[in-house]
Formats: sequence, structure tokens, C-alpha cells
Amino acid sequence: MSYVDFKRELGFLFSKKSVVALLVVTFLLSCFSVWTGTEEINQQRETISRLIKADQIDREDVIDKKSDYGSMAYYTFNLTYSPPSELAFAALGSRDSMPWKHRIRALALEGQIHESDTGNPEMALTGRIDFNFMISILAPLLVILLLHDLKASEMKNGREELLSVTSRKKNSIWLSRVFVSIFSISICLLIPFWIASVINMAGLGPVLLVSFLTAAHIALWAFICYWASKKSRSAPHIASGLLGAWLLVTFIIPAGSSVFIERTVTGPQGGEILMAQREAVNDAWEIPIEITMAEFVKTYPEWKGHTSMDGLFDWKWYFAFHQVGDQKVQPLVSSYRKMIEKRYDNAGWVSLVSPATFVSRTFTRLANTDPISAWEYEDRVRAYHTSLKEYFYPYLFKKVEFDKRELDKLPKYNP
Amino acid sequence: MENLEKNNLVQLEAHNLCVSFNDRPVLKNISFQIKAGEVFALLGGNGAGKSTTLKTFLGLIDATSGNVNVMGQSVSDNPNIIRQKVAYLPESVMLYEHLSAIENIQYFLSVAGVECDETAIKNALDKVSLQSKSWQQKLSFYSKGMRQKTAIALALLRNTPVLLLDEPTSGLDPVAIDELNELIRELAKSGTSILMVTHDVYGACHVANRIGLLRDGNIVGVFESDNGASINTEDVHAAFAQGVVK
Amino acid sequence: MINQLLKIASEEWRYWFRTKLAISVLFLMVCMTTAAVVITAFNVALQTEQREALQRASEKAFIEQPDRHPHRMIHYGHYLFRTPPPLSAIDPGVDSYTGTSIFLEGHRQNGSTFSGQQQSTGLSWLGAFSPANVLQVFAPLLLIIVGYSVVSREKEAGTFTFLKVQGVNPLMLILGKGCAILSAAGLVMLPLIAGSLFALSKGESGIVTFTFVISYVIYLCCWSAVVLFASVVSKSNRGSFILLICLWVATTVLLPRIASNSATVLVNSPGKIETDFSVLQKLREQGDGHNANDPAFSQLKANLLAKYNVDKVEDLPINYKGIVAQSSEKNLSKILNDYAIESMTQQVEQAQVARSFGWLSPSIAIKSVSMQLAGTDLENYHRFLVEAENVRYKFVQSLNELHAHEVSYNDDNNKYKNEDTREKAKVSSDNWKVLDNFNFSIAPSEERLTEVKTAIMQLVFVFFIFIALTVFSGRRL
Repeated sequence: MSYVDFKRELGFLFSKKSVVALLVVTFLLSCFSVWTGTEEINQQRETISRLIKADQIDREDVIDKKSDYGSMAYYTFNLTYSPPSELAFAALGSRDSMPWKHRIRALALEGQIHESDTGNPEMALTGRIDFNFMISILAPLLVILLLHDLKASEMKNGREELLSVTSRKKNSIWLSRVFVSIFSISICLLIPFWIASVINMAGLGPVLLVSFLTAAHIALWAFICYWASKKSRSAPHIASGLLGAWLLVTFIIPAGSSVFIERTVTGPQGGEILMAQREAVNDAWEIPIEITMAEFVKTYPEWKGHTSMDGLFDWKWYFAFHQVGDQKVQPLVSSYRKMIEKRYDNAGWVSLVSPATFVSRTFTRLANTDPISAWEYEDRVRAYHTSLKEYFYPYLFKKVEFDKRELDKLPKYNP
Repeated sequence: MENLEKNNLVQLEAHNLCVSFNDRPVLKNISFQIKAGEVFALLGGNGAGKSTTLKTFLGLIDATSGNVNVMGQSVSDNPNIIRQKVAYLPESVMLYEHLSAIENIQYFLSVAGVECDETAIKNALDKVSLQSKSWQQKLSFYSKGMRQKTAIALALLRNTPVLLLDEPTSGLDPVAIDELNELIRELAKSGTSILMVTHDVYGACHVANRIGLLRDGNIVGVFESDNGASINTEDVHAAFAQGVVK
Repeated sequence: MINQLLKIASEEWRYWFRTKLAISVLFLMVCMTTAAVVITAFNVALQTEQREALQRASEKAFIEQPDRHPHRMIHYGHYLFRTPPPLSAIDPGVDSYTGTSIFLEGHRQNGSTFSGQQQSTGLSWLGAFSPANVLQVFAPLLLIIVGYSVVSREKEAGTFTFLKVQGVNPLMLILGKGCAILSAAGLVMLPLIAGSLFALSKGESGIVTFTFVISYVIYLCCWSAVVLFASVVSKSNRGSFILLICLWVATTVLLPRIASNSATVLVNSPGKIETDFSVLQKLREQGDGHNANDPAFSQLKANLLAKYNVDKVEDLPINYKGIVAQSSEKNLSKILNDYAIESMTQQVEQAQVARSFGWLSPSIAIKSVSMQLAGTDLENYHRFLVEAENVRYKFVQSLNELHAHEVSYNDDNNKYKNEDTREKAKVSSDNWKVLDNFNFSIAPSEERLTEVKTAIMQLVFVFFIFIALTVFSGRRL
């Protein structure tokens, strides 16, 4: 296709008012989607800085008021968070259903880590228009609207034959029109994205990849429309078929597969973990201290010689049984985590038949807003919790004089 | 009517052409030749096979057997030959309603890969007697005759050695028909081979050098003009009516 | 007249049977709705069973605890599980986005944990496969595909003029076509009606179920009117189809999301952690309930000493620590409740902003109606949180009461000395029966019916607008 052809077909495409309207609406929607995404991410970032400050104040207050390490460990909370990546404005992903911030203290982790500080569930239910939505769900609809009557409209008016025999190569005119449509829709979608990427300082690599993904997804649907246009049916007939196909691969197959996967990949329920953990922690008050300590030193043998207590309460024992509580539910927790990872993994197979799923999964992976990122954040929280515990253990197990300045060495969370 | 032949070059040829749809024969062994500067009218009733013949020449329908040649090249072997050498005027052509005459012509010429400036287009529109005040108007405001003229101007500007016309006079008023016939003759003079498919007996007689009568997929008669004079309408009409009654 | 209407409508059906597209899409739609009803009903039944079992297990675990110091039990806490209401089999609403369990303990108000979304495959981002979603989003598409050409087809072919000349009143023709479209809609409603009857058998109120079904009927009537209107007003089949698809995308796919985006931008609602910090700030001014010697309690101490006419807390006939615990729990709960109410109010405001878009989009309106009647909307979730807090406060304060009156101050101070003193500081496990059987119930039917008035008005409004437009344009045909 030469430049002359491209220019001509582009001019021809834009000569139709309905097409211009469609492209303008596309552009505006794309602007809206990146704007709300950027707003949301900015709000999240501001929230994080506010929380860091408040967290600091609270901790300093506790350090001020308490005078033993045990109370410190009990009362000091530490903020953990997962900051949004530079690309997150474009694909908000599961950030509105999976937690990205916690306040953690050295007590049993399993009682703390599963809280989900999510916002308004009715808003989350409806979903958002972020750029991911634009390119995975809306773009195919736009392509269908533009290209379903590629030939049908010409056939209806008797022009199809004339065009066919006038053009220099048999199908070149149709292919030119397909290409020009792909180009126009892509540009209208991508320009706001590019501008927003610059504002959000997103990396060049991911932006190029997303642009490629966008164009490829649009091209895929454009060629499906081209193939469908060869059938000699009326334009609405073809469009209905295309919409049906879109419905099938964008909604029916994913939703149906979801039901199937959730039925076949099973594991413990969240409630079970919570109750088991609570039992394990609370039972400790009744069982002999030696039993608790024996369990504890299995994981932390270095404290073997330091488990003696005066009286029936000592912070070292308290934290020891919290640790034991976590240990006891570890198999359940692993099992649960394996289950949800397997579910997400299996869902990946659906990408083979559902382009929208493929685009969305890839995009959220690039933007670090998919469940995998949420689990990675969870792992970081677990690691931090370990460092927090292990910081306090020396002070608890060896009788150390209380010195406020030691708390400067409290491990800080690194996102 | 002068019968000037630039040369004796056969530009359009059907040779033992047979076309069947689903084992139902539509064209049965058609053969004819059209030389440069010749106007050949294919006359027939509804369902005789006129449009099928035309579409075979355009490469839109494949011949079941036999072949059609344009400029000596087989259409089935070289499909692009049509695009380069043939201009086509479909029946009731609808150009783009939202574009003007000039824009429509520019578009189609560009599609055909023909470069043309606006002056040449205006000259052509002038030649087909399209009023200049309507050149920039959208085609949705045109009458049928005006649209036809625009399409003819396009065919002229294509400047191809072969021109295929499908019912060119249907729906035109008598003045427009005369103008069209004049144009056809002019084109023929410049060496273009013209194949015209029609059921308008009188019009064909006045403009064609030869008339082929198509009935049930066979050419049952050929009438020739006597040294440029009009062909005898009564003979043709009689032969035509005979076919229809049957 | 009825005869003529039926004739026109049945003629339309004949057309649909002959052009296989309409019939296949209709068939597909009925299958999809039926599948959705069966699958969701099954799912919800399973969830209900699981959560009820967990709830009973949780209650059992509490009551079967051995003799303990009351404060231990406050920290042992209690788990509540939210069971789905009957109509959630049709419209699960916010269920999968809200946690299924909540942990109740002293000194804290926790959020809920383990939402369905956190354990899902991530594949249901265009909406869950629930009957509500299928009907709200895809039934209109069916009506469009089946009905876009009802009138425009006649105009294009010229048969409309032909019929007019035969003496057929254009409005009668349009009405007949409208009936045909409605009958197609009725077919798709059948699985929903079946599902609603099932919910009725599970204990949902009759009038609510009836209103629920009627609302969906009105919704589909809205879309039938829209389809009819587009077909009347468009010059060609193609024009009608494109207009309808654009309307569908705009009102069903785009507007709901624009509404929710706008709501979250217009009404800010801080998250729980942020609220926690504000609470902490307030609490710093109030004193720590674990430490009876905290200077903040000096007033309380003075009052008590005066009341019982003693000089030292050791001489009080009640356990000072218990009193402190009660008092601080009361103050804390007040602060927490104030913040919780503020947060809930903000969320409801957001939801109201989003729901107001229902005047523009029937899909938003029906969603509001459906969730509100089923009891799976935001307000009912808040109701659960409030009831949970009531349970929490009640059992925590009962335990604090025990702490104040059944454990002596002396025993309390010495409980960690040795085994004997520890035993003395315990109370009998018979006391754990303070916990009632928790059964969460959604808002009563009268309340739910009142809630949905606005949304139903929105639906009726759109319906009448489009009927009026259709009649107006139809007259001019």
C-alpha cells in the first residue's frame, strides 16, 4: 500500500461525519480513562505519604510512653505498602480488590495480613474505565462498529463491484481501508495514553509494549471483521455475528471458565485459617509454657537456653506463642496460597481463546497491578514481619536493660 | 456515422464462453470479438445472460469453460488486466453521496492509480454536460441523470482502451440519452472498444456498430451497421420480440 | 384491534424464524440466563452452607472455652460470617467484593477479610456470570439484534407505504411490532422468574420478590421501547442497528463506569488505615484501657473512690481494672463508631452520586433496584457491619462486667505469680453463653421497598419518554 493510497483512504475515512464522531468519542473516552486513572494513582500516592507521616507520629508516641521492649513490640505498628508503579495509572488491575497497605506489628502475622482495606464495594463492583478497559473491552467494539460494513455498505449501494474492478489489485482497496481504520483507532486511543505516560513518567519500554499490544489487539479484530465482511449478508447481520463472537470470547468464555476453575481448584477457606490461627494462639494460655517454648525453638533454636521465666507471664513467652500460632497454620496458609495461585494460573489458559483476557493479564502484569504483584507484596510483608520479630527477640529473650535509643534500629519497611 | 477504425486490433474477445451456476447453464458457448473503435451492443430480455457476460469480462464471475480475453490477455490468467485496461459503468451506479462530483472522481481515479488534476476533471464534467454549479455539491442532491453523467466522466478520465456499459440509458430522459450516445460515438472514434449491454432496442440501433442478440444464453443473431448508418430497428425488434414471446 | 396486533406480532415471529439470526440469538440468550440461574443458585447455596457452618463452629468454639480470665475472652474474640440473602442467588451484588468474615474483639473494630475477589480467577472483570448481570447487560443486546429492523425493514422495502395504503394504521403496526419485541423479552425473563420463585421458597418476602421481577419487566420494557423507537426513527436498517448498538455501549458499558468514577472523584472517602490513625490521635487524648494507672483515668479513679468512700483502689468492692476496661471500651467504641458512621456516610454518598446517573441509563437504575431489593447493596453491607459492632460491644462489655465484679482486684494483680493465683483470677466457663446465636438478616421488606422507589421511577421515566417519542415519530410516518 503506497503513501498515496494511505492518504486517500485516510481522507475518505474522515470524510464521513459518523466516523469522525466515533473517533472523537474514542479520543475523549481515552482521555477520560487516563485522567481518572492518573487521579486515582495520585490519590493513592498522597495517601501513602500521609500514612507514612501518621505512622511515624504514632510510633514515636508509643516509644515515648512505654518503657519495656515487650510493650514496644506489642504496641508499635509499622506501615507496609505497595506503591503504584508508573504504569499503574493505565491499568488499575486488582488494586481495588486486593490490599496494598497494612499496619503490621510483631504479633502473629496470620491475624493481621488478611485484612483488606478496600474502598467502597459498590464502586469496585461496577468497575472503572481505565486504559486497560479501553483497549481490552472497548476497542474491539469500536473496530466492529467501524468495519462491520466494510463491504456490506458498498454492496448495498452497488459500489462494491465498481470498487473491486477499479482498484489496481483485487483486494487492495479493502485492505487499505482496514489498515487505515486500525491506524485511526489506535492513534485516537494511544495519544492520550502517551501524554499521560509522560506525565506519570512511565518507562519507554513498557509504554512501547502497551502501544504494540493495543495496535495488535485492534488489528486482530480488524482482520476478523475483514474476514466476516466477505460473507454476503446485510451489515447488521454481520455486525450481530461479530458482536456475538465478541460476547463469547470477552464475557461468556471467561465467566464460564471462572466458574469451572473455582469449582475444580479448591482449598481451605479463608475463614478456616483465621479460626485455626486464633485457636492456636489462645490455647497457649492453657498449655504448659514448656510445650510452647519447645515448639518455638524448633524454628528459632538460637533461643533455646533463654526460655526461662519468672512467674506466669513474660513477653518472651507471649511472642513465642504468637510465633507458634503462625507455625501451626502454616500448612493451611500454604495450601490457600497454592490454590489461589493455581486458579490464576489456570485462568491464563483462557487467554488463548479470549484476546481481551490476554491483553488485560499482560497489561496488569506490566503495570504490576495483577494478583501476582499483590502476592509479591504479601511476601514482602511477611519478610518484613520476620525481620521485625527477629529484631525484638534478642531484647525479649536476653534480659536487656531498656534503652529507648535501641529503637532507632527498628527495621523500616522498604517497598 | 463514420466508422473510423484506428487499426484492426481485437481488444475484447469471448471464445466459446460457457458459464453455469450450480449446474444450471446461463451462457452456452458465446463467441464474439470487438475491435478497436467498435461499439458492440449485447441485446436481450430479462434473464438472457447479459449481465453474466459483462461480469465474466470483469473477472467477477469465472468462466466454466472457454475464455474471455482483454487486449489479447486471458482474464482468468491475468486478473489485473481488467483493472488496468477496462473502465466499467455499472447499472444504477451509486457513487458516494457525501462527496461532490469532483471528490468522487478524484477518489476513484486515485483508487485506479490514475493521476489527474482538477482541470482535467472539470473538462470531463463539462464534456458530459454536467452543470458547473453542481460540481461542488454533494451527490445526494443529484438527479439520476446527473449521477450517470458523473460516472461517465469518470469512465472518460480513466482513458482505457475498453469500456463496459451496463444498461447505461435506463432511467435517463431523451435529451440525456442523446448526449450519452454522442459521447459513446466520440469515444469509439478515439479507438475505444465499447461493449454495451442493454434491452433498449432503439438506442442500441442508433449507436452500435454491431448488435448481438442474446437469448437463453446463446447469441442467436448479429446485426451490423451498414457503413456507419443506423441499424434497421424493425429487423432487430422483430428478432428480439420473437425471443421474448418464446 | 387485538386481532390485528396479534397478527402483526406473529408475522414478526415468522420473520424471526425465517432469518435464523434472531432465533439463534434468542435461544442462546435463554440458555445463558438459565445457566446463570442454575450456577449462581448452586454457588449461593454452597456459600450459605459453608458460612452457616463456620458461624456455628465459631459460636461453639467460644462457648466451649474453658474457665478463663474474662479479659482473655475479649482477646479471644468471636468470628461472624455473613450469609447471603435468598435473592442473592439472582443478584449477588457486592457480595464478592466484601469480606465474608469479620473478627470481633475488644479495643478494635476490624474490617472484613477474605473477599471472594481475592480468591477468584480474575476472569470476571466484565461482570460475574449472574442472572442479574446477564439480564441487565446482555438481554438488551438480544432485543436489539432481534428487533432493530422491525419498522425500518418495512420502510426500506417499501412495504410500509404499501400497508398504509391497505388501511393499516401506522401506530397499530408499531404497537404490534412492540408486542413482538416484548414477547421476546418475556421469554428471556422466564428463567429469572423461576429463580425468583426459588428465592421465595428460601424465605424471601412475597412482595419483594414480586417487585423484583416486575422491575426487571419494566427494565426490558424500557429497552423494547428504545429498540422500537430507533427502528421507527431510522431511515435504514443499518442506521437503526448502529444507533442502538451505540446506545447500548453508552448506557450499559460506559455510563455505569463513568458514574462510579465520577462518584469516587467527587466524594472522597479515606480508607480504614487512614481512619485508624485519626482514631489513634483521638485516643492518645483518651488513655490506654490496658493500663489502669494511665493518668487519663485519674478522674474515674477519684469518682470511684468517692462513691465507695475508700482511700485506695485496693479497698474498692469491685475490680478497678474491670471498671477501667469498661469505661475505656465505651469511650473507644464511641470514637470508633463516629468514624465508622462518617466513613459509611461518605460511601453511601458516593453510591448515591453513582445511582443518580440512573436517570440517564436504565441499566444503572435496574442495578440499583435489583441490589437493593435483594439486600446485596452497600447499605445492607453497612447494616451487617453495624450489627456486628452491636454484637461486639455487647459481649465485650458483658465480659468487662464480669471482670469488674467476679475477679477481685487483688487476684487480678497477682495472677501471674503462680498457678494458684492464676486459677483464682479465672471465671467459670458457664459465663461464655453471653454470646447469642447470630443470624444476620437484611433490611426488612418495607425498608427495601421504600429504598427502591427512586430507581423504579427512573426506569418508568425512561420507559415513558421512549414510548412518547415513538408515538410522536410514528404519527409522522
